[in-house]
Amino acid sequence: MSVVDYANHRRVRLGAVVLAATLIALAVVGTQTDVALERLFTLGFLTRSLEMATPITLAAVGGLYAEKSGVFNIGLEGFMIFGAFTAAASMYAIGGTASTQVHVWSAIGISVLITAVMTTVFAVLVIRYKADQIVAGLAVWFIGLGFAPFTASIIWGSQSSPGLSSVGTLPFGQSPLVVLTVVIVVAAWYVLYRTRYGYWVQAAGENPEALDTAGVNVNRVRYATVIFSGMMAGLGGAVLLAHEGNFVGTGDTMVEGRGWIAIVAYLFGNYNPIGAAAAALLFGGLDMLNVQFQTVGIEVSARLVNLLPYVAVIVVLSAWGKTRMPSSVGEPYESED
Amino acid sequence: MLDATVLERIGIAIGSTVSALLIGLVIVAISGYNPVTFASQLLVGSFGSERAVARTLRYSVLFVLAGVAVAIAFRAGVFNIGVQGQFIVGGFATVVSIIMLAPFLPNGTGGGVALMLIGTVAAIVAGGLYAALPGVLKAYGGANEIITTIMLNFIAIGFVGWLVAGRFGDPQATATRTEHLPDNVGFPSVVFDDPNLSIVGILLTLAVVALIATVMTRTSFGYDMVTSGTQEAAATYSGVDAKRMIVSTMTLSGMVSGLAGAIFAIMIQGYFTDPSGIGNYGFDAIAVSLLAANNPIGVVPAGLLFGGLESAGSHIQISSDVPVQLIDGIVGLVVLFVAVPELFRMIARRTGLGGENE
Repeated sequence: MSVVDYANHRRVRLGAVVLAATLIALAVVGTQTDVALERLFTLGFLTRSLEMATPITLAAVGGLYAEKSGVFNIGLEGFMIFGAFTAAASMYAIGGTASTQVHVWSAIGISVLITAVMTTVFAVLVIRYKADQIVAGLAVWFIGLGFAPFTASIIWGSQSSPGLSSVGTLPFGQSPLVVLTVVIVVAAWYVLYRTRYGYWVQAAGENPEALDTAGVNVNRVRYATVIFSGMMAGLGGAVLLAHEGNFVGTGDTMVEGRGWIAIVAYLFGNYNPIGAAAAALLFGGLDMLNVQFQTVGIEVSARLVNLLPYVAVIVVLSAWGKTRMPSSVGEPYESED
Repeated sequence: MLDATVLERIGIAIGSTVSALLIGLVIVAISGYNPVTFASQLLVGSFGSERAVARTLRYSVLFVLAGVAVAIAFRAGVFNIGVQGQFIVGGFATVVSIIMLAPFLPNGTGGGVALMLIGTVAAIVAGGLYAALPGVLKAYGGANEIITTIMLNFIAIGFVGWLVAGRFGDPQATATRTEHLPDNVGFPSVVFDDPNLSIVGILLTLAVVALIATVMTRTSFGYDMVTSGTQEAAATYSGVDAKRMIVSTMTLSGMVSGLAGAIFAIMIQGYFTDPSGIGNYGFDAIAVSLLAANNPIGVVPAGLLFGGLESAGSHIQISSDVPVQLIDGIVGLVVLFVAVPELFRMIARRTGLGGENE
């Protein structure tokens, strides 16, 4: 069974679970209250769910590339914090609090570049100096949690930024960043499963010796995917900022665990970019359900509804258990020559 | 990291800390503050006065216990990133069990001691069970414990937060918190004048360190645990049930986390607040344990260092305008350096300070 077949089978089973869970949720909501379902699941709900899912999707696509090639980038959350913060700081630097759309897009670009530089350092430590991937990834999170609010305090005198600008919308009220994400997801899927480079990435994680024998530099592939994963997480953070319009550095910062959810999203999607995007959309939808419940006046604690994605993760991970990780994840590769 | 010698490990720990602090000072200087003032405030805030020392020890107790919890799992080859959640569940179990049972017990010292014992046992049980869950899921369901423990942290924060805000909230309080523990519950203030530090907490912590160190090095259970972490195949051949070992390791780790939560609730807070704002003891404990090369005795100096940093942080927050989040960033840098022993080995080789023993 090829990798693609495997992923497809998995998607079918996953789809069944998602469908069953949704039906149960609908049944519960439907019988417990007399709110018409069409008031709950509106077009606005879908739009907001998509917006909520984009940052998670972007980070997940990056993370799955790194892990496919054999490096577990557990620092996605940290890179998202850097992405959100650097986007806010650069937008403030070039456009102040009244930025135009040009400023917003430039800020997103600058933020991705800065995150790429940071990830390069991380990649060197993990690949060249064989840092423990889990520990180094956690360090990235701690560093983001500390330095982003620290620098925010120095720039704005408070851990959060003042109101900056947010990205505009397309004619149908959709965010252009959502469209961009869809393009990235499809491209990522195509590259991974339909191009020679995609097979290199998969081989670097499954059988680095064979790839080396075939004359491809394993670590070069890994550098590329790890730096790509940081850039995507940074873009995810920047997108989050561009949707919300200001940086929040208190508590767990505005990223609020989305980087962790991104890891789970690609595990759910079995390392398939499209599967990961679907999982991210599920989480985004659950997140927005909260707001929707309040809009139509259903009394459910927001705190409890917010826990749904985390519980879903544990249920699915234990029901499915062995998400098959690429066999060489976590092991530094040393070429014989 | 496990193949490093003791001397090498100590060198790496000191090297990591010093490098992280130096980078921190450079950042302070770049941000336009005086690094010398900052460094001296770091010292004054952690060990400069009796109050500062008491504050440092108070935080250190939590870091040492949580660090031991992380170390137990790491040594057995299991990642327990969920100490924060187990700490929260444990501390909450303490407060709830004490408040619910208080009306049935006498008001005097005897009743207080009984309540504290019950509360502590409740925390140990709750923490152990909360950690056993990801252990069982890993051993029998193949679910990655790194992911499940992280998710369980978020669930503990959200769920306990919901309980503290609702069912167990104090309606008279303006902030989100439970009722205060009864007056007869609390450790006595001997030696230290500080109301939030008791010699009982310190002794209890040291006793746990000694107990865990003994279990790891002197008992067959500890031997099996460490072997399955370092030599999984060898452990299996010698008849160790790897799955059961994962569950018992996680449970033991969670029990220590729960105890840390109990001490936090009884000695420091005296009630339980919204867990999203109680501090990242369980996460920083990962750094503490790594700095100590996952050795339970090494956790004591590492915990003191982190206690000192945290204590200096609260001093700096009041007495200086350097944003206190810098301390969290420095902790992150320490972790990053600890993750890369190769970097220090290379520096040692280049400078001729050692490293020949490879």
